[in-house]
Amino acid sequence: MADVPILKLVRTPPVPARRAVGAARGVPAAPPARTRRVISIGGGKGGIGKSLISANLGIELARRGKRVVLVDADLGGANLHTTLGVEVPRRTLSDFVERKVSRIEDVVTPTGIANLGLVSGALDHLDAANPRYAQKMRLLRHIQQIDADFAILDLGAGTGTNVLDFFLVSDHGVLVLVPEPTAVENAYRFVKAAFWRRMRNVAQVFGYEPLLRSVMDGANFRSPVELVETVSRKNPEAGANLARQLAVFRPRLVVNQARTAQDADIGRAVVAAWRKYFGLEMDYLGFIQYDDEMWRTLRARRPFLLERPDVPAAKAFATVVDGLLAIDIAARAGAPK
Amino acid sequence: MKPLSQQNLYEVLDVPFDASQAVIAEAVERAMALYAPGSLATYTLMDPEEERLLAKMLEEARSTLLDPTARARYDERITGPEQPGSQVPSPPAPAMDAVIRAAWPELPPVIPALQPASDEEWEEEPVDGQPAVEAEAAPAPQAPQPAARVEEAPETPPAAAPPTASPRPAPILLEKVVEAPASQQAAPPTPSAPAAPPEPAAPPPAQAEAELVPEDAVWSGAVLRRIREARGMSLQQVSERTKVTRHHVENVEADRFDQLPATVYLRGILLSLARELRLDGQKVARSYLERVASAHPGGPAQRPR
Repeated sequence: MADVPILKLVRTPPVPARRAVGAARGVPAAPPARTRRVISIGGGKGGIGKSLISANLGIELARRGKRVVLVDADLGGANLHTTLGVEVPRRTLSDFVERKVSRIEDVVTPTGIANLGLVSGALDHLDAANPRYAQKMRLLRHIQQIDADFAILDLGAGTGTNVLDFFLVSDHGVLVLVPEPTAVENAYRFVKAAFWRRMRNVAQVFGYEPLLRSVMDGANFRSPVELVETVSRKNPEAGANLARQLAVFRPRLVVNQARTAQDADIGRAVVAAWRKYFGLEMDYLGFIQYDDEMWRTLRARRPFLLERPDVPAAKAFATVVDGLLAIDIAARAGAPK
Repeated sequence: MKPLSQQNLYEVLDVPFDASQAVIAEAVERAMALYAPGSLATYTLMDPEEERLLAKMLEEARSTLLDPTARARYDERITGPEQPGSQVPSPPAPAMDAVIRAAWPELPPVIPALQPASDEEWEEEPVDGQPAVEAEAAPAPQAPQPAARVEEAPETPPAAAPPTASPRPAPILLEKVVEAPASQQAAPPTPSAPAAPPEPAAPPPAQAEAELVPEDAVWSGAVLRRIREARGMSLQQVSERTKVTRHHVENVEADRFDQLPATVYLRGILLSLARELRLDGQKVARSYLERVASAHPGGPAQRPR
């Protein structure tokens, strides 16, 4: 069960599994006093504004009094500090990965914005983009226990396992989409890849692999729902558990660089199409208008939300955060105690 | 989530079974915009085959569900005569949730859906017991007139049945000939043939067709006109919807062969007309063109127009 930290298990009736990870490792299983939340920002394609959205969501949350740590999880292409106008930090994730420091809190750099800290991605170490498996597990574990209200992970592009694992470990996996075919294509590929990885992890933990394999050998499945239904016919208990474990896979969608009214609608359209043709749910958080100001402030290496809080795109971040917090509250209320 | 080929037209549109005409019209428009060829939202999500099937089903939804007569017939068909309203209205629920609920009925959903207040246009209307709106629009049962259309009588649902059983808008005006292919095309794809698009080429559904529409059925202009009138469409409407000029439609219906365009165009016109009238386009076109050819042994097709 080496994969366990990746997995956010839904509590199943017999075993209180939420912090089963910690329990297995001898860490007190009691829930932490403060409820930490991990938000990751992904999207498959590069250049769609993941870093800018991470930074500005962080600023928006920090301004609402939440304690936020931004983590640059784009291990091979870290640049989050630049979007915040912070000098290249002295201490970075690589210090943590190489165990020069023991706690991830030790590499948090202040950003000059109250409540907002930054863990910069590994910049120096040439091989930092490819941490060993054990290193990644340790990192994931520490991020989940970071001392803040929110940890926001800025993910890299692509659908590599490192990226997917960060996405899956989050409480809120935010999918960034720009209204272009290339981004849509990559976004769908990204969520599909993340979904199948989660399914494999679940199957591994519960020992469903042989069952899954026997089912998948039989037919070609268009959608996860079909697959789960087939599993249910063979083994109703496993099917129901699988369905429950997979139902938490629910990306939050943000449309970036919306230029037209139709672009603003694309988010809803994607949610509808995803439900209809893949059978899974997404939550649409809202769209952020395309604005040259965003680019201009980036050029000036100044945080957009601080420089131009007056433009519509800046206000859109408030809407997105509102949506995210609403979902968060709903999720917490809905989660079994 | 059912495979697309097994969804009925209401499920395709994501509307409740008893949705009003207005709601359906809106849903059709939305779906057509959303799933139009080249649509961004479905890019790489569906394979081309599915895309074509969906386009076809949306077109069918538009022509069937927005036409009270055709809709009533379709409703009856998918509901089945015995228990109207009992099976179909199940709204297309997110199936993953359904699986979970079936297994753990007592548990709340893991994460409730976010429902922004401004979202109402995407909200589905609750399925309630209200009589379907089209019930009023449907022609009153003029049953006595064509005294006992015997082959249909057994299908008539019990009188007291809920929404869908609203007075069957009997297609009284229609010639028998017409009836079969039309209802055949409106048939929902059956689960037994999952991948098959709802093509008229599918198994002849009813003995009705066999006996009513002989293979050599003659599709004359007059027949086409009667069908159009039975569908309650004006020349103008047909012309607008098929993008065939009214002038041509009139000439087709009047069998004015010498004024019709060359065969290659005429065939296209016939196919569109047949589609609009929910007939088997291939049969209509073949039959009609045969008649054109026999009327002009020299072959009007070659005459450029």
